[in-house]
Amino acid sequence: MKKFWAIFFWFWPVVALVLCVMAPSQGWWFPGPPGTQMGERIQGLFELILGIVTVTFIGTNFALGWVLWQAASKGDDKKAFYSHGSHSLELIWTIVPAFVLLFIALYQMDVWAEYRVQSFYPEETKQGSVAEFMARQFEWRVRYPAIGETLKDEAQPGDLYMVNELHVPAGRPVKINLRTQDVQHAFFAPQLRLKQDAVPGLIIPVWFDVPKAGNYDVTCAELCGWGHYKMKARIVVESQQAVDAYMRKLQEEQTEDGFVEEAAEEE
Amino acid sequence: MSLTSGRFSWLTVVAISASLAAGCSKSGLESSFVYSAKTDSLIPEAQSGIKGQAGVKKMVDDRFGNPQHLKAWSKLPIDFGGVTASVGETPSGKAVKEILLQFEEGITSPSGDAVSSVQFVGGAAAGETAAVLSWDAESGKATLVSALTGSPAQGDQVVIGGGEVIRNGRVLYQRHCSHCHGTSGDGAGPTAEYLNPRPRDYRHGVFKFTSTNSSSKASREDLSRILKYGIPGTYMPSFLLLKDDELYAIVEYVRFLAMRGEFERKLVTELSVDYSKASVADQTASGTKRSEIIEALTAFLTEDFSDVANSAGDELAEAWSTADTEEALVAPTVGRVADSPESRRRGRELYLSKCADCHGVSGEGNGPQTTIFEKLPDADALYPEAGLHDEWGNVTKPRNLTQGIYRGGRRPIDLFCRMNEGIKGTKMPAFKTVFSNEDVWHIVNYVLSIPFEAEPGVSPGSIAPATPVAPAAAE
Repeated sequence: MKKFWAIFFWFWPVVALVLCVMAPSQGWWFPGPPGTQMGERIQGLFELILGIVTVTFIGTNFALGWVLWQAASKGDDKKAFYSHGSHSLELIWTIVPAFVLLFIALYQMDVWAEYRVQSFYPEETKQGSVAEFMARQFEWRVRYPAIGETLKDEAQPGDLYMVNELHVPAGRPVKINLRTQDVQHAFFAPQLRLKQDAVPGLIIPVWFDVPKAGNYDVTCAELCGWGHYKMKARIVVESQQAVDAYMRKLQEEQTEDGFVEEAAEEE
Repeated sequence: MSLTSGRFSWLTVVAISASLAAGCSKSGLESSFVYSAKTDSLIPEAQSGIKGQAGVKKMVDDRFGNPQHLKAWSKLPIDFGGVTASVGETPSGKAVKEILLQFEEGITSPSGDAVSSVQFVGGAAAGETAAVLSWDAESGKATLVSALTGSPAQGDQVVIGGGEVIRNGRVLYQRHCSHCHGTSGDGAGPTAEYLNPRPRDYRHGVFKFTSTNSSSKASREDLSRILKYGIPGTYMPSFLLLKDDELYAIVEYVRFLAMRGEFERKLVTELSVDYSKASVADQTASGTKRSEIIEALTAFLTEDFSDVANSAGDELAEAWSTADTEEALVAPTVGRVADSPESRRRGRELYLSKCADCHGVSGEGNGPQTTIFEKLPDADALYPEAGLHDEWGNVTKPRNLTQGIYRGGRRPIDLFCRMNEGIKGTKMPAFKTVFSNEDVWHIVNYVLSIPFEAEPGVSPGSIAPATPVAPAAAE
């Protein structure tokens, strides 16, 4: 029984390793390949960090198991060895993680800057955002500028409105203005590997460039209230012509006056 | 060490057995429809019946069932699901396990999973419902799980896959809607008390935002629009991502709950004058014996109550099916008047003459009417709080028009409907008798411009682009 805990701590890293190796082939992994180039780089960072923590987790657990095993193998008459207060040990476990963290901090800088720092955004996104993506308990309200206009922070008379569905053109970088009407929410597009908090009072520009047309999920990734799970939306990525046609359709619907001319009578 | 692990395993067992006990109790899994407070105000004999005669509760349950066993009252204009067919040829021999079905022209043979049961409506097997083992859509041959007791003949009416829409609707409703609107559609789900405005109580059969005229119910299309686009400014979210057949099923189930509630209310209205607890107390106080009242009630329940129920059902059927017809739809006689500073100015004048009373001079929803104390609908007293009350007894603020949030939709036709026909269940009246269609459009133009006004009545310079030009103005 004395050696139980040693085996216990050796057992879990083995389970973790087996699960990690199995995961990609079993579909326990990401939802499909990254939908954007930025997403690919973000996934690269994710995998790097996953690798570092896996090595750390397995290493520390095996070390812990080894220490327990050693102690359990000793006879009852042996005195315990106290390592508490060891200056060199303290130095090692402070400096090594510090270097690991510093490495991660420096390594991810480029990706971070390109995704988050506005002066590094692609040229195409600098003309303005295609839509306002307003989180609200518990849905996403979309506001497009009128056809041919640019998006303003304040609502404009000709703006076009939709909810839970965002249409954007494929194959070029687009930017949206992420906002929230009430509490904190987070814009999360898992297939695109994008995530960004929406903070009350802030307008946060989020850009993405999806080469492949299709529907992409959006969920809320910040527990925002009892209806958090309801906050599903989709991004419809399609050709520029299709987006233009969609905008015309939206405008037509939004100016609907319900008047039907009695065509039959005139004939 | 052994002590710790011992305690650990003991705790686990308790947790599992506790969850087992909760999971196995039957009552914990079953839900039921509740009755309205009005029903509870009747004397027990009127609620639950007397001497074998059905009271209100049984009348309702017999026609609508409970969430586990929904009933389809065929009188009502609800698509419970199912396709009508007839027996193609008289099967030979007894103990029929295979039948050939045929469909009337225009009805396509349903495919695959949709055919789970065959229900015999007419003929010798009438009343039997048989589970379907396999179904061949092409030949129309249904193989039944077990043999029928009666033997059907050619031409007998059957319904296949009956109740599938309403069952599907119930599942979706319980998943997406019931936590606010309640299992019975009473607007009193577990989250309801934290919400302002309160979730709709369907049992009045009244829905606020409709495209139908002031005396009509909501159409299926109206309910489906609300589901798809939500109600901004309230907690009603959008369910745009549900599939069309899912939305359809939810709409049918909501209509079912609305009709159930309305039916119950109609029955109670018939009884409440003489047989409410308060009324019976009054009568006994003035010398009438309670046994006499019960006798009269028994006579009423025996002789008249089923007629009352039938005519209530007919009224419901009429009202709800009319709502889906073109006659019920609001149809402006002129198209939207082109949005212009002149039109807005005219709209503002009209707005000040009528609308400002509630919505305020600057459109903030703070007109003088919002500070009055209203009379309670069925008592000689005032509401305890000031303000305009709706059908459900809640204070409803006239909309603040400066925010650009339009609960019932922001299309010009949506605003037109609300002004011309009013908002059902609220103090927003229909103005169709006061204003011409053209004048309503002027007000629409003005109201749509309010959020962009520099100050009340000062129209912004820019005009919404691409507004459709009214034919009259174009000529």
